[in-house]
Amino acid sequence: MAESNVHLNRTEDQILEQEVRRHVLITPWGKLLEMVTPIYNWGRRSSIWPLQFGLACCAIEMICTAASRFDIARFGAELFRASPRQADLMIVSGTVTKKMVPMIVRLYNQMPEPKYLISMGACASAGGPFKEGYNVVSGIDKFLPVDVYIPGCPPTPQALLHALITLQEKIDKQSIQTVRWYNKEAGAEIPVPELGPDLLDLRRAEEIKGMCASPKKPAAPPILPPMIPAPKLIAAETQGAYPKAIELANRLNQAVAGQAVSVAGGTLVVEPQAIQKVGQYLKLQPDLDFKYLSNLTCTDYQDCYEVVYNLYSITKPGPSVTLKVRAQKGNPVVPSVTKIWPGADLQEREVWDLYGVRFDGHPNLKRILMWEGFDGHPMRKDYLEAYYEAPGKIFPSRWKEGHHKRAEEWVPFSDNVKYPAGFDPTQFVPAREHTAPVTSTSVESLKTDTLVVNLGPQHPSTHGVFRMKVVVDGEKILALEPVMGYMHRNHEKIGERNTYLMNFPYTDRLDYICSMANNLGYAVAVEKMLGVKPPERAEYIRVIMAELTRVVNHFWAIGFLLNDLGAFFTPALYAIEERELILDLFEMASGSRMMCNYMRFGGVTNDLPEEFLPMAAALVNGRLPKAIEQVDRYLTHNEILLSRCRGVGVLPRDAAIAFSAAGPVLRASGVPYDVRRAEPYSIYDRFNFNIPTRSEGDVYARYQVRIAEMWESHKILKQALKEIPGGEIQAGKKLWNIRVPAGETYGRVENPKGELGFYIVSDGTDHPYRYHIRAPSFINLTALELMCKGHLVADVVAILGSIDIVLGETDR
Amino acid sequence: MKIYGLELIRGLGITFGHFVTSYTAGFRRAIQQGRNRGQVRQQPGEKGIFTVQYPEERLKVPERFRVLPVLIYDGKDGDKRTQQTERCTACGICAKVCPPQCIWIVQEKDPTGKPMAKASEFFIDVDVCMNCGLCAEFCPFDAIKMDQNFELGGGERQASHIFDINKLHVSTEYYARTHPKAWAEEEARRKAEAEKKAAAAAAKSTA
Repeated sequence: MAESNVHLNRTEDQILEQEVRRHVLITPWGKLLEMVTPIYNWGRRSSIWPLQFGLACCAIEMICTAASRFDIARFGAELFRASPRQADLMIVSGTVTKKMVPMIVRLYNQMPEPKYLISMGACASAGGPFKEGYNVVSGIDKFLPVDVYIPGCPPTPQALLHALITLQEKIDKQSIQTVRWYNKEAGAEIPVPELGPDLLDLRRAEEIKGMCASPKKPAAPPILPPMIPAPKLIAAETQGAYPKAIELANRLNQAVAGQAVSVAGGTLVVEPQAIQKVGQYLKLQPDLDFKYLSNLTCTDYQDCYEVVYNLYSITKPGPSVTLKVRAQKGNPVVPSVTKIWPGADLQEREVWDLYGVRFDGHPNLKRILMWEGFDGHPMRKDYLEAYYEAPGKIFPSRWKEGHHKRAEEWVPFSDNVKYPAGFDPTQFVPAREHTAPVTSTSVESLKTDTLVVNLGPQHPSTHGVFRMKVVVDGEKILALEPVMGYMHRNHEKIGERNTYLMNFPYTDRLDYICSMANNLGYAVAVEKMLGVKPPERAEYIRVIMAELTRVVNHFWAIGFLLNDLGAFFTPALYAIEERELILDLFEMASGSRMMCNYMRFGGVTNDLPEEFLPMAAALVNGRLPKAIEQVDRYLTHNEILLSRCRGVGVLPRDAAIAFSAAGPVLRASGVPYDVRRAEPYSIYDRFNFNIPTRSEGDVYARYQVRIAEMWESHKILKQALKEIPGGEIQAGKKLWNIRVPAGETYGRVENPKGELGFYIVSDGTDHPYRYHIRAPSFINLTALELMCKGHLVADVVAILGSIDIVLGETDR
Repeated sequence: MKIYGLELIRGLGITFGHFVTSYTAGFRRAIQQGRNRGQVRQQPGEKGIFTVQYPEERLKVPERFRVLPVLIYDGKDGDKRTQQTERCTACGICAKVCPPQCIWIVQEKDPTGKPMAKASEFFIDVDVCMNCGLCAEFCPFDAIKMDQNFELGGGERQASHIFDINKLHVSTEYYARTHPKAWAEEEARRKAEAEKKAAAAAAKSTA
């Protein structure tokens, strides 16, 4: 019995073993993991949630990839998460600036593993066209590990989808046993770089310390950019070529200034101590009425810094008055004019930041585009960037003996940084600026229970890398300070090295929603100096392109205003459906959806392709009015929109003028001012259109002005498409090395966002001596605090949305 | 009396409408095309929501669409390049006109050290190029053109993003395929110029 029991047990064991073998998998641990890997990879590759994070132009294409035409949801990657803690994928979409990179690294550190990174576009990969700039990081891979690089500027949405597929393929090849995040040694945080005299990579602190202690002498001293003296003064009494300027100078001298005003080349040069008196007089005399300070900038001459003020009268359209104040080279100080024209606030700070001209009496004179503590004033002619090669392009290293060498390979610190001699990074104490209280002119007294909140620079509703430092009492805004420069790509410094032609593609990247309109603005300004007039057909093409751009921009602005009001992305996606069709037209004519680079001095690049006009007509007569009507019908009387927008962010009429607001912001405050009418350029004087205005000056009024402007653009488009003649598209021969006669000009156009101006000083060579951009997005922000004070935090986002800024232009 | 919330329902109605048309448009297109998927283009008259099903289908890019520059040699795909078929003369206009200065050219020298009208090396730094197309616009020899290939994503940049002369060269056959209209125009212009030259030479020899 016992024996049979044993026998039975044995067979039971065998049966059990057989059963176990049949139903249970017995395998070594590693092999098991290999079997799980495909499921593990499939799960990861099919739910890559990107971080809702955009830097520059490429971010616009990223948004288009998420919209209905390309629909990234088909890859399971549509959930753009605003919080890094919920995101898997960081798409570094655009130029990485030194000021922004600490935030990017911090965001990456906050993302949980597994995390991936796509470097979208040339800028993110290596600095791109802005690589030589003083505020640009030569590639995100200097700090973060990159999974996929996408070349292109900007890569199209399909290219981004291709990169996503490439990333998925990469994930497919990974094994659960070797992935980084299960490796015990890995997973350390990447040290966040600091902003010192220049960007400081803490991992290299010791190395940099050594290099600064014994700096290497360069093989050959760099050739400095040549400098010219400031324009010669004409004695005010002498009758010369500028009777009007001389007349005004005489009048000013008699009335207020003694002998402080003189004339130089059609502009008034004012002694520093008299500028405030002269300004007051020009502003307050009813027959002069120069209430609108359009542009304030500075030029670095051999003998002085010249601060330039371009003044206009809102009520009397006509030529501007250009004032100039010359500041000494050693210690440049100029009295501030913020008391006369509050719109000078941010512009004076910009001049201080970039030129080091101090404005006496400015309430808050700190750096604006660079950070406090940055070494040097970069727009000065003697400031040379780390990657500085030659005073002007073309760089001699490129041709005949152009053996390719990356800039990193020949500069002392092997990167786009430079430090003063003797700088010690290990002893360096960074300024923690974001915790400092807001310096504001308007906060009477700070109570103890207020709180400083930083909105941005990484925030879904700041329309880019813009930051607002807000002092709140509960939910109420007491003070607000716009902080910018996170996308400062050094357009002006690069622009002064470029030839005139080379600046065209750079203007595309200012306000990258409206590149065609920027092209037009630059062309108009330089044509003014050249005295060239484009042929009829080219003028019509330009107008068609500029007005299509206005429609695109206003659709975009309204869609994203709704986004800011909390209608998360649905209205924005519907509003940009028509944009895709207009971009198709741009692509057909110029070759690129966003970076058109379509206009030339005296014409346009190519004639329109055959299919352009029929398609444009079909769009303008069919789909476009329907789409505008749809937006108008659904939104204009929507109760949520009304209750969120009416009476919010009011900018009174006088304040709008005083703060130099422009575009829809100005017109929504009841000022019927439009450069297309006030100082007609191109052929706008022959079209029949109105200038829509609203008197309320609130968010809703700005929304209504944009809707009305779309209808006006539609009107212009219909006329232009009907009347466009045949013929030439280029006046004279198109030159690549065009020389511009010596002199200066301020040319301006009405961009969708407001007055876009170009202040250009030419020394007669093929590149501009001074190239300044009056950016409407930047100057419209001057009035932001006034609009926001007393409202709630949620309203700030709506108010910012109603101003409609683009960071490429704000920071330049 | 005002009834609150009606706008909310209306808004949801709009969203629902878009939701439905996103399917109808897709189905209509699927029926029209059948299995024959390839290149598509949205027409302004088309109703509903248009989604391109990348990568199964692609947007048909217009002829002028530009990404990165390429160099041209006369011949068919896969032909060996020679000095006769290469069009680039190393004149350097493209490098001089390039806004971000991403083009690097080494001019070839003959054994005596005299410069020749040929590039021995030609680099384009893809990570600096801004795809503006000025090089192609101003090239006097139709030697540099803008390519349309945008599917360039990859996991590495240090070595692969510097395009050298071998990587940059494509044949005229390729160019004629991607840019049929421009190619026809250029051919017609070259032919006219050649005829003019021949006529001038003939006139000279008879005189």
